[in-house]
Amino acid sequence: MKGFLLRFNWVSFLSMLALVAIGALVLASAGAARESAVMAAKWKEMLWTAAFGLVLYFALALVDYRIVLDWLSAPAYAFSLLLLVAVLAVGTVQFGGRRWLWFFQPSEISKLCVIAFVAQLFGGGVERFRGQFGFRGLVVAAAAAGVPCVLILLEPDLGTALTLVPAVLVMLLAAGVWRKGLVALLAVGCVCVAALLGAVHEAERPGVSPERRAAILRYVPLREHQVSRVKTFLFPETDRMDSGYNLRQATMTIGSGGLVGKGYRRGECIRRRLLPPMGIMNDFIFCVWAEEMGYLRGSLALLALFALLSVSTAWTAVVAGEGRGRLVALGMATLVFAHVYVNIGMSLGLVPITGLPLPFLSLGRTFLVTVLCGLGLVQSVSLHREEKQ
Amino acid sequence: MKTEAPISAIVSFWLLTALFAVGFSALAVRLKEEQVDLAAEHLREMDSQSFRLVQTTGLRGRIFDRHGIPLAVNRLSRSIVVNPEAYRAVKKGDTTEALLMAAISELVPVVGRAPSVGEAGMRRHLRQALARPLVVWRDVSDEELARFSERSMDFPGFDCVADAERLYPQGRVAAHVVGRVGRDRFPTDSGDEKMNFVDKELCGREGIELQYDDYLRGMPGRERLLVDARGFATSRSVVVEPQNGFDLTLTLDLRLQRAAERQLRGWRGACVALDPRDGAVRVLASSPAFDPNDCVPIFRSEVYERYAKDPEKPLLNRATAGTYAPGSTYKPITALAGLRTGHGAAETYECTGAYEIGEMRIRCTRTWGHGELDLAHAMRESCNPYFCALGVSSGTNALVSVSRMFGLGARTGIDFPTDAAGVVPDAAWKASRSADQKWRLGDLAQMSIGQGQLLATPLQMARVAAALGTGALAVPHLNAALSPDLRPLPLPADHLAAVRRGMRLVVEGGTGRLAGEGVDARVIGKTGTAQVGMGATLRKNTWFIAYAEPTATSRTQEPLALAMVVENGESGGGTTAPMVAAVLRAFYNGEGAQ
Repeated sequence: MKGFLLRFNWVSFLSMLALVAIGALVLASAGAARESAVMAAKWKEMLWTAAFGLVLYFALALVDYRIVLDWLSAPAYAFSLLLLVAVLAVGTVQFGGRRWLWFFQPSEISKLCVIAFVAQLFGGGVERFRGQFGFRGLVVAAAAAGVPCVLILLEPDLGTALTLVPAVLVMLLAAGVWRKGLVALLAVGCVCVAALLGAVHEAERPGVSPERRAAILRYVPLREHQVSRVKTFLFPETDRMDSGYNLRQATMTIGSGGLVGKGYRRGECIRRRLLPPMGIMNDFIFCVWAEEMGYLRGSLALLALFALLSVSTAWTAVVAGEGRGRLVALGMATLVFAHVYVNIGMSLGLVPITGLPLPFLSLGRTFLVTVLCGLGLVQSVSLHREEKQ
Repeated sequence: MKTEAPISAIVSFWLLTALFAVGFSALAVRLKEEQVDLAAEHLREMDSQSFRLVQTTGLRGRIFDRHGIPLAVNRLSRSIVVNPEAYRAVKKGDTTEALLMAAISELVPVVGRAPSVGEAGMRRHLRQALARPLVVWRDVSDEELARFSERSMDFPGFDCVADAERLYPQGRVAAHVVGRVGRDRFPTDSGDEKMNFVDKELCGREGIELQYDDYLRGMPGRERLLVDARGFATSRSVVVEPQNGFDLTLTLDLRLQRAAERQLRGWRGACVALDPRDGAVRVLASSPAFDPNDCVPIFRSEVYERYAKDPEKPLLNRATAGTYAPGSTYKPITALAGLRTGHGAAETYECTGAYEIGEMRIRCTRTWGHGELDLAHAMRESCNPYFCALGVSSGTNALVSVSRMFGLGARTGIDFPTDAAGVVPDAAWKASRSADQKWRLGDLAQMSIGQGQLLATPLQMARVAAALGTGALAVPHLNAALSPDLRPLPLPADHLAAVRRGMRLVVEGGTGRLAGEGVDARVIGKTGTAQVGMGATLRKNTWFIAYAEPTATSRTQEPLALAMVVENGESGGGTTAPMVAAVLRAFYNGEGAQ
């Protein structure tokens, strides 16, 4: 028992619990601002979901992760692919994306499935690939991560793809998959992104004729709403309406919180609907917290908790002493970090606006359960570590 | 193709931690910028997005005659308005505009009349003033309101609000003096804060309403509306209460005004009466008149068109803007010019029935002539040849300078928007009209009897009458609070006395004997019959100017100077003089008092 308590990653667990508590608090506040009984009660629903997720967390933590990976990673991965295809076929359309299947979002689940599957493939669990992650490894990795990414992009859910890619990339780098190839792939990716940004920049520059704009955008594989978000990111001052409006209002909401905030449930921008209420419980939930709690109590405290969570999760990779556990820990840490960075960064103009939840705070039961399960798996790595003599 | 060793756990941990550190630091730094460095700016922006300033208006001041009889007041007006926030679109595909339109069209049969606001106006309101109630039915009747109230529970957001509308209790009486109002926005320049919404308020368009608009309008107030991001108002607070406008008391004597208008009824013409002691305007009547109530709540274009196209020109204020040849009422000025150039009052001239100068022949009223006449008798008979000869002998400069002493050819300075200057012609004036026109003696002769190019308004001639009576020229005024502006005429008293003697003879058995009939006052005056046009279009504008002083038995102890002109009359003595007598009787005998 003493060993259990020592091996248990308390930092990760406690910071996670604190974030769950903050999530309930901020959702209660944001829900009250929505002036709808359903929305006002959402925080309770999220607490119940968190409780359910914690049960799964402990279940996964107590079972040896090797067994879980051996038995579940491949079927879960296959199942998630099936769900992703299903959602494209029969999913529910909401806000311009086909993301919902009944009551959950398959793309959220697939994040964990891909991480687990990649860890299983490259962490030394599959004999065939052990020790020879050369070009073939890269091809397998590209297929394993690329297929769900493409399916997710088809929904389209740019944000999820944007967080999954770095997580998988970090895992592959750590696993020793053909590094030059990865670096080259990364370089090609950067060039593509730069070319995309350049093309949008050229098309949306002030004083460009509509014909020329259309001619350029014909070669840009982005939808109109994505183009407009990229445009907002590139020219935050010119685009005062639509997505530019959201960004401006989000930054104003955060900024008006000041050093110490306006007090819990006293966020005026939220309550006066200056920030469009549609997003305040999802993509812009951080704005609610930052406005009401301010810089010190709100933003910095939250960033510190997320930093504790990601770093302690990554630390599990060090103590794992074994390939698969290490990869799971690194992947989950990167996934959480990417979500936090992209979600908060988009309210500040650091990242183009994409619909992406903030872990534990945003409304979204699928994602909450997914993250809790993933962290439970990491906790299992910590508990069932391979002790070195 | 090599197999590469996996990065050791501790190295990958530190590399990843470094990446996290960079990311979280970037967020922390950006957040500090926004939340600490720019916090004040964001708060300001939030306030400017949250609040809308509304300029509100107080009640417009009322207008009274000198005895406190109301000329313009405010009446309660009820309007049915709708607050757009009640029709905030919630469901997908709904728009506030569509919901509102549907509700209004459902209410139309209930209220029983078409909305006062058009579709375009409604759209504009939703676009520009979402936070403000939209007036759908302005100025509803009691029945309309009752019908609406029965069903108002079914129409959330609709409300009845009280507003003030202008009411002119005297209708057409003194309409030209009081003027009329319109509605417009007058954003105040408060400097620091910009008004987001400015209510349309009553504003003067003509007459006293226009002249004293600032005084009557009062000080606007301010309201602060809290709005949400879509512009719907969520609450409001009064920042500054509006101040009501000031009431205005005029010098006008409504009873006398009524008497004058009664005399003018059916004629085109004007009558102006002044208190000669200080220039206070007692009567300023123009006929025909309009009803200023027609412009409330709005001056509809078809009503305006009807007035504007009327050949009688009811919108024209003939008393201050109508310029007429003064005809023989000008002769006292010719007389004074003659006296000033050295002609004696007893000097005689033999009238042979016409005056000839160059190719011009000016006939006298009596074909065979008046024979020998002195000044007083020439006035009494209004002898044209006498005054032609006197004027020609005195010269243009004498005539022009005496005319200017009496304020002719210049604005009177009355506190009123229309104040025509008229014309006192001379060589320079005629040359300025057309280069080949020379100022001839014939022009001078015409001018001597108030014809030719000479033009004056009834107000100017009333002022002339007052100055003849008192020897001082007053600036006429309508606002009772104004102090008199009086300037003595630079003319010897005996000259004026001589002219007054002539004017007394006019009333006592002269051409204007009907003007004094039955009037309990000492009346002096002068008739005038100005010919306008030639041949078939020849018309006569008939004048009378009078100056009256009360007797011991008079109902009032005030003197009165009066000028009246009637277009297309027979003669000054026959047409206008009896009308003047009736007005004077109303003043001094108390006839027709209500």
